[in-house]
Amino acid sequence: MLLSWWKILGILILLYVVIGGLSVPLNPGITDLNPGQLYAGQQKEVTITAYNTHFKTAQPTRIWLKSAEGKFLEAQNVQILTENKLTCHWDIAKNMEGQQYTVIGYNNIDGSFLVPDGIVILKNDSAEEANTAEAQFTDVNTADFVKPSGLRFPYRSILNETIRNTFFHVALWMAMFVLYLLGLYHAIQYLRTGKNEHDWWSVAYNKSGILYGILGLITGSLWARFTWGGWWTNDVKLNMAALSMFLYFGYLLLRNSFNDAEARARISASFSIFAFVALIPLVFIIPRLTDSLHPGNGGNPALGGEDLDHTLRLFFYPSILALILLGCWMAQLKFRMQKLAIKAGIYT
Amino acid sequence: MPDHSFKCIMWSSIALLMFPYTASAEVSDLDFLRSTGKIYSVIAGVVIVLLGIGVYLWRIDNKLTKLEKQIKDEHETN
Amino acid sequence: MRPLKIAAIVRKEGMLEFRRKNAFYGILLFCLVLVFLNYKAFNVLRGLEWDVMLWMTVLFCGINAIAKSFIQDGAESRLYYYTLFDPKEVVIGKLIYNFIFLSGLFILVYWGFRFFFDAGIRRDGLFFAGAGLGLLGLSIIFTFIAAVSGRAEGNQGVMMSVMSLPLTLPVLLLLIKITAVAMALITDTSVDGDVWMLLGIDLLLAGLLLLLFDFLWKD
Repeated sequence: MLLSWWKILGILILLYVVIGGLSVPLNPGITDLNPGQLYAGQQKEVTITAYNTHFKTAQPTRIWLKSAEGKFLEAQNVQILTENKLTCHWDIAKNMEGQQYTVIGYNNIDGSFLVPDGIVILKNDSAEEANTAEAQFTDVNTADFVKPSGLRFPYRSILNETIRNTFFHVALWMAMFVLYLLGLYHAIQYLRTGKNEHDWWSVAYNKSGILYGILGLITGSLWARFTWGGWWTNDVKLNMAALSMFLYFGYLLLRNSFNDAEARARISASFSIFAFVALIPLVFIIPRLTDSLHPGNGGNPALGGEDLDHTLRLFFYPSILALILLGCWMAQLKFRMQKLAIKAGIYT
Repeated sequence: MPDHSFKCIMWSSIALLMFPYTASAEVSDLDFLRSTGKIYSVIAGVVIVLLGIGVYLWRIDNKLTKLEKQIKDEHETN
Repeated sequence: MRPLKIAAIVRKEGMLEFRRKNAFYGILLFCLVLVFLNYKAFNVLRGLEWDVMLWMTVLFCGINAIAKSFIQDGAESRLYYYTLFDPKEVVIGKLIYNFIFLSGLFILVYWGFRFFFDAGIRRDGLFFAGAGLGLLGLSIIFTFIAAVSGRAEGNQGVMMSVMSLPLTLPVLLLLIKITAVAMALITDTSVDGDVWMLLGIDLLLAGLLLLLFDFLWKD
């Protein structure tokens, strides 16, 4: 019991991540602006569809257009349709032509929410007689906005709720990498010392890693399908993952084709070291290729530096830790089974 | 052997005939998973992860049972 | 490590190759058939497709050619090598032989592709420098994996392809990029960096091969 404290810790952390990661609400956000293009010198009704907002229960919601200089133009005639939908009007003056404006909304329950560069003002050729007055831009002190209480995950326009996949999908890859590293360490130790235990540990860790890899591919594929519309995208990380899966399946195949335990241990350890090191250059090569062949091919939206904000971190790092602990646990089970089999004289 | 190939042909033709229906069924499933900010696709992911770990543990358990039986048999014969 | 011994191994591999004429001609025929298949499948092949298909064809010919370099060595011939040579000499000898053989196959496939299709190589020096380094990298990977799969039981040919093909990706990607630059298909000012990186990968792989081969060899 005392020795297996880390297993209990792993389960508890996983429980914390699953419950917390699924129950913490998302920040409110704007999913749709219709129309997103307005014409200069025109007054037009804009329908705003939002997510996770409380337009009806909150104090009147106010909507602004924010210019690049930090000036605000408030919308008139805000009409609340539902909790998540409202319409409003802007008087678009002539001098706003050709610019992009951030749309910001605020009420006392949801706090502020915005779409960067949500509305584009186009040139209007037909309506010459439209109002020529200057737009009434004012200063709004955003520091006065009440922040909603409690923990909230950031809202990202395409990701929506799937930002939670950071804990269940991205963490899986991190844990997989750690397990493979442990497997590699034991493979090297096996070649150095020739102790069978290292071989058993090495396979056990690699098998846990392979399990996580398979799960990562499935969950990633699911994620891609519902956010970007395809089961597979030409993403750097995805292709690296696929390649490493091929190699580790090859490793399992190799291990299954020996009748001699000693040769199997030695040769599969050499292969796993060779394969691991030989793929390291790929980390440096692929960015070079994507720069020249596929310009603007970005990385993973959930892990781009600033995107990983502190509320996500609160669950992301524990999730990695929990998955590593569970992986070590599964590896330990495999290892003990192998030991038992050898003791009983059974070749597995 | 001919019986087997007959079965193969039958099932594959049924599968081919069913294809348009399964395709249209998929579309409505996708809509469900996309509803309310795609939260159901996240839950599907969580279920897959937990199920995957569960199935792996289940398989280890089965193998252990087999091993125990083997060891017990050997003890009895000795 | 004794250079004379290495030369002896290279010579011996060559002699073995020519003694088993069937296998040798088989590989040559395989290459020619693949080239012809490419010709009939594409009819017109140029630009990036020419480049990619050239390297794919070389890759598959190479796998078939090098797979047998350890697989056909039985336990007796391993023992024979073991008593006479240092494992490092064996692997360097085999690597040199495999590199020469793979280069020969490359030249054959290359002329086949030039014969059927219009190539349009602008910078010959860059093309062949890249090709040489790439072929060296491929032959190191193939030599190592052949040694690994030579020790496995069961279908060694399949094992060879399954284990070596994913590993060739880093080399293959750089190879295709460098040769594409040499054919003026893409413009890239950092191509020198790619050549250096390919050289670096070759050195890394060679180091790994020398380091790990001892463990594959001893019994």
